[in-house]
Amino acid sequence: MSTIVETAQGQARRRMRIDGWRWGGRIFLVFMLLYTALPMIWMLITSIKSGFAAMQFPPQWWPDQPTLASYQKLLDPQNSVGQDFLRFFWNSLFVSTATTILSVIVAVPAAYAFSRFTFPGRNFLFFAVLLRNMFPAVIFLVPLFILMRAIGLVNTHSSLILTYLTFGLPLAIWLLKGFYDNIPVQLEQAARIDGATRLQAFLLIVMPLSAPGIIATAIYSFIGAWNEYIYAYTFLSKNDQLTLPVGIQRFFSENTTDFPGLMAASFMMSVPVVVLFLVLQRYFVRALTEGAVEH
Amino acid sequence: MTILTGKAEVPRRLRPHRSGVLRKVWEHRADYAYVLPAIAVMLIVIAYPIYYTIELSFFNTPPGLQLRDKIFVGLDNYTAILKSPVFWTVTSNTLIWTAGSTFIAFVLGFACALALHRDFAGRAILRAILIIPWVISAVAASYIWKWIYHSDFGIIGSVLVGLGLSDRPPNFIDSVSTVLPSLIVVNIWREFPFAMIMMMAGLQTVPDQLLRAAKVDGANAWQRFWHVTFPHLRNVSTVTVLLLAVANFNSFIIPWIMTGGGPSNASHIWITHIYELAFGRQRWGVASAYSVLLFLILMSLGYFYVRALSGNDQKDGSQ
Repeated sequence: MSTIVETAQGQARRRMRIDGWRWGGRIFLVFMLLYTALPMIWMLITSIKSGFAAMQFPPQWWPDQPTLASYQKLLDPQNSVGQDFLRFFWNSLFVSTATTILSVIVAVPAAYAFSRFTFPGRNFLFFAVLLRNMFPAVIFLVPLFILMRAIGLVNTHSSLILTYLTFGLPLAIWLLKGFYDNIPVQLEQAARIDGATRLQAFLLIVMPLSAPGIIATAIYSFIGAWNEYIYAYTFLSKNDQLTLPVGIQRFFSENTTDFPGLMAASFMMSVPVVVLFLVLQRYFVRALTEGAVEH
Repeated sequence: MTILTGKAEVPRRLRPHRSGVLRKVWEHRADYAYVLPAIAVMLIVIAYPIYYTIELSFFNTPPGLQLRDKIFVGLDNYTAILKSPVFWTVTSNTLIWTAGSTFIAFVLGFACALALHRDFAGRAILRAILIIPWVISAVAASYIWKWIYHSDFGIIGSVLVGLGLSDRPPNFIDSVSTVLPSLIVVNIWREFPFAMIMMMAGLQTVPDQLLRAAKVDGANAWQRFWHVTFPHLRNVSTVTVLLLAVANFNSFIIPWIMTGGGPSNASHIWITHIYELAFGRQRWGVASAYSVLLFLILMSLGYFYVRALSGNDQKDGSQ
């Protein structure tokens, strides 16, 4: 009898303690949600204020007269502000897309080789590629600037694409290798017994199975190139070539009081990558799980 | 087509190999074709610059980067760095910045991963919102927070004044004593989601049976975490912390855009200082010497990184 009572009490106590953890977790998540979201909400609210409304103390929590004027100004090809912004946007899109395509073309065979073949120097090369992640842009900045100047690529988008390739590449190879490791070799063997060439087996069997990994790799390359700042800041000086991060900075360093315009530009710069990431994040988290963690 | 010649399926050990390394390399020549593009890109953009930085660190170059007129100065650039009082300011800033950002971002990210591990309504949306700061550009983040910290119209200052906690809005990033912590808050905002994703991925690999067994044995939630979950995540944690530490050590955008290293060097870290030496003051030799020192520090961190990674491999017995 007494033991039963004790057990019941023990269970009650245990349940209470677990609830305590759960509630702690919820309160913590609310705190993190505020920390994460409030700055972004404040960006959006500021972007629909007039320049005058933004410069008030205490601030207007919600603008008296919300206006989309900042967005209209940035997206209007008729005025100089809009022309610049749209050109920066296009430049970023071009550089990021080119980087993404090249990254996939270079990373897929390399990752496949690292996963399937055991050639001499394989481990050394694999870690040498990974080590790239260790080094800051600044170490390479001076010599690459000199190199790009020598081969005449300063002030061209090619200099950026070539450089950005190496950011994405190590993680891309790493993630994809994890994917290929998880695809049974027997599938390819079966295809080859059925008469497929090695290339056909790769294209028809391995590629579709590793599509999530390739998508994750592509997202990672695209986001990295879209957000890159320091090389673009150093390699490009002509106004019509700048990418968005540098363009926005050059643009607003002359006109820092236009915070609504700056917030609108920051918002529009974030939209493509955030949308891309949210639509495809499933693949990304899965790629990290399979490539980086279980492996 | 080289792709047709791979021999991956035949275990290498079964084939006779009496020959030397070169013969082996030759036998595998088709395999190298796959990695050649990757290696070529890395050589041009990494190996050559490293070599060039080391060379340049022993020279003085006149302003304007007139490389034909560079003068050999031996180790002068290195001694100049160690004698400079700025060096110690910048180094201590870098340590505070790196250690503070890494530790807090990891703890917050890990805690979010644990809190999000159990399913509940709205979990997917919450997770997506928490990841967004990591995806948006650091340039946008810098401007958003610069506006939040603004000394006249910033929202945090207004709230503090409104609550009667402060007479006037504090100068978060214009004052020597508060600038570094204020920037660290921004940096953590951008980086904790990365730790969260990594640890969420790691949590999925913790075997449920182990946790249930521990529960049956009477372990409470904290004990289950500390004795079962956490040890299981040791490798992921190591890799995550190292990646965060390296990324923080190498950050540039947030300090550069928000303060440019000021006021009076209080937010200069190594990277921003090197950039200013090279592209601001045109002291390419000193900047290169700084880069070489940085390189050596990162190589030692890289050693642990590789060890952590190969530790993963050996554990699985897959390599």
